[in-house]
Amino acid sequence: MELSLNCLTKFFGRKAAVDCVSARLGPGVYGLLGANGAGKTTLLRMLCAILEPTCGEACFNGREVASMGEAYRDALGYLPQDFGVYPNYTAAEFLSYIAVLKGIPRERAGRRVQELLELMDLTPAAGKKLGTFSGGMRQRVGVAQALLNDPQILVLDEPTSGMDPKERVRLRNLLSEYAGDKIVILSTHIVSDVEAIADRVFVMNAGKFIMQGTVPELARAVEGKVWELTVPRGRARQWQERVMVANYRREGEQVVLRIVSDERPSDEAAPCESILDDAYLYYFGGAEARR
Amino acid sequence: MELFALEHKKLWRGTGTRICVLLCFAYFVLYGGVLGYQWFLYGSEGDDPTRAYNHRFDGYCAIRDYKELAAGYGGVWTDETLPRMVKDYNDMGHPGFQNMADWTLALLYVDRLYPELEDPEQRFISMMYYVDPEELTDFYGRRQEYLEQALETRRQNGELTEDDVAMLLEMDSQVEKPWRYEWVTGWDHEVRSLAGMGAQLAPWLAVALAFTFSGERQSGASALLRAAKHGRRRLARAKVLSALAFSAEIYALIVGGSVALQFVYLGTDGWDLPIQYDDLLTVAPWNMLQAELYALAFSFLNVIGYAGLVMLLSALVKSNVLSVILSLAVVYGPGLLEDYLPRWARHALQLLPPASGGADIFACHVFHIFGKGIWSPYVLITVPVLIGLACLPLAVMCWSRRR
Repeated sequence: MELSLNCLTKFFGRKAAVDCVSARLGPGVYGLLGANGAGKTTLLRMLCAILEPTCGEACFNGREVASMGEAYRDALGYLPQDFGVYPNYTAAEFLSYIAVLKGIPRERAGRRVQELLELMDLTPAAGKKLGTFSGGMRQRVGVAQALLNDPQILVLDEPTSGMDPKERVRLRNLLSEYAGDKIVILSTHIVSDVEAIADRVFVMNAGKFIMQGTVPELARAVEGKVWELTVPRGRARQWQERVMVANYRREGEQVVLRIVSDERPSDEAAPCESILDDAYLYYFGGAEARR
Repeated sequence: MELFALEHKKLWRGTGTRICVLLCFAYFVLYGGVLGYQWFLYGSEGDDPTRAYNHRFDGYCAIRDYKELAAGYGGVWTDETLPRMVKDYNDMGHPGFQNMADWTLALLYVDRLYPELEDPEQRFISMMYYVDPEELTDFYGRRQEYLEQALETRRQNGELTEDDVAMLLEMDSQVEKPWRYEWVTGWDHEVRSLAGMGAQLAPWLAVALAFTFSGERQSGASALLRAAKHGRRRLARAKVLSALAFSAEIYALIVGGSVALQFVYLGTDGWDLPIQYDDLLTVAPWNMLQAELYALAFSFLNVIGYAGLVMLLSALVKSNVLSVILSLAVVYGPGLLEDYLPRWARHALQLLPPASGGADIFACHVFHIFGKGIWSPYVLITVPVLIGLACLPLAVMCWSRRR
């Protein structure tokens, strides 16, 4: 099973939202990292055959996805970003509705809906109307609907937004377990979600993959560029203005700063082991880095 | 089928839909139906003529009185019936036209068939008050003359051809004379009211159905639906079917309620009265039951046709508000534009569902389609629904292709 992206490009007017992106994806979990507006959602919509590429193609097992029609959509599970639900439907009804749209036979759909409600910890709320659901609960319903047809390709756009830490961990574990022989693509700007489960990470900026590799590989890309520096509290602010600070930890009257910088920021700064967060910060400049 | 059931459920679950249906039922069945029959329409005339609804809350009994009064004229409308009715009206001390006894018929006939008896000095009071009943002779001869004159005027105006006039007169010749007579006003009112039901239900349908496709965009579920195996085409078909089913259901609910009330209050007697009583220019050799069946079919098919048109508008636009406005414009626009359009355009707009000429069975219009003159009730019952049905595949295509 292979999903390949061959110079996939999408222009909106004269602006390239996705600019000649290529990759080959086999079974596993793929993280798509990038700041807002980097082109992640546009790329995913093209992968799901919802959006037509301006040029290039996405192929599943050698066949262009748009031309596969129902056969491709049958193999696909998609959670869009900011998806809408019908507020007057209950969670169970909504999942049944999507199950019908996905062409799942009624008996199987009934079982699958119950399984997924349980899996997403939604059983107690199954009979409640979606209009009364919190953001996190709605998101879990969204993930459940994407999993309904047991898809070979699971595409999740910002799946953890609105979820509390416990729900996020639960979802990450679920996706890791689900991946096995399937392709799971996870788009987010929450680095820790990707770091925890992705076999391979694509970092996207201005419509292009600017980096790709495993989490350790990406982290290694900034090896020698991550420093730890202990400074008095009064001087911490000055340092924050001068360099890119990945973390700020208070220790009594002192502050330990984790700095991402090409050069050693100070003689007192000690080199330390890089992680994916540092790489992300290094390439995106910090605004989206930590939530 | 399962998708249709779910879509149908979704449509009925909508808060707007429920409010719409509830208001519709309250307005048509409870207010217009129960209160209309019992009070402000059929109730006997009250004592205070300055009141807006000068009626007593006695519709059920009053209807029996009207029937009894009409039965006193012997069951057949002869040349002597009108003079007797006018005399009785004056002898009874002018019981008024607000009640639903057949006095309005007599008033109409005197006014239309005996214009030479009008006293210019008494122009502002009803002729019923002062005409000599003895002069109201030869009712059927006068009616024939009146009909021929009206058709000739329309022919000269270019509305009818000679062939049309001949066709309409031929239809009229099939009406059995003398006419059977019982209390007429009740049937007449119901037939007209049912024929206009399509146009009356249209604004409610617009509010309930205009969101069918445009609402999906606003719900944000669009991407989700497009990525599902069956995509949007099958869903669009289910939506269209559920909207049609909903239209039929709301029609059955409202019209079923009205017909049930008609049975309770008016009963079934008088079903075989000719429809010519209501409008002297009516030429169709039909009785009231046939007219009511036509009216039911006409309004139902118009509701379906209109639902089709609303579906298309909903699929064409992205905004719910715009979809509602356009749907309502289809209902009210032709009426607003009528005075500014040439005759052919007015005729063409009449064919857009919901066609407003529901009571055309009482008139005698002719549509000329491909050079052939067709009696308007036949056109009005078929063309609007065909237009609506033609909109359905377009709506499906439009929405399923929209990105």
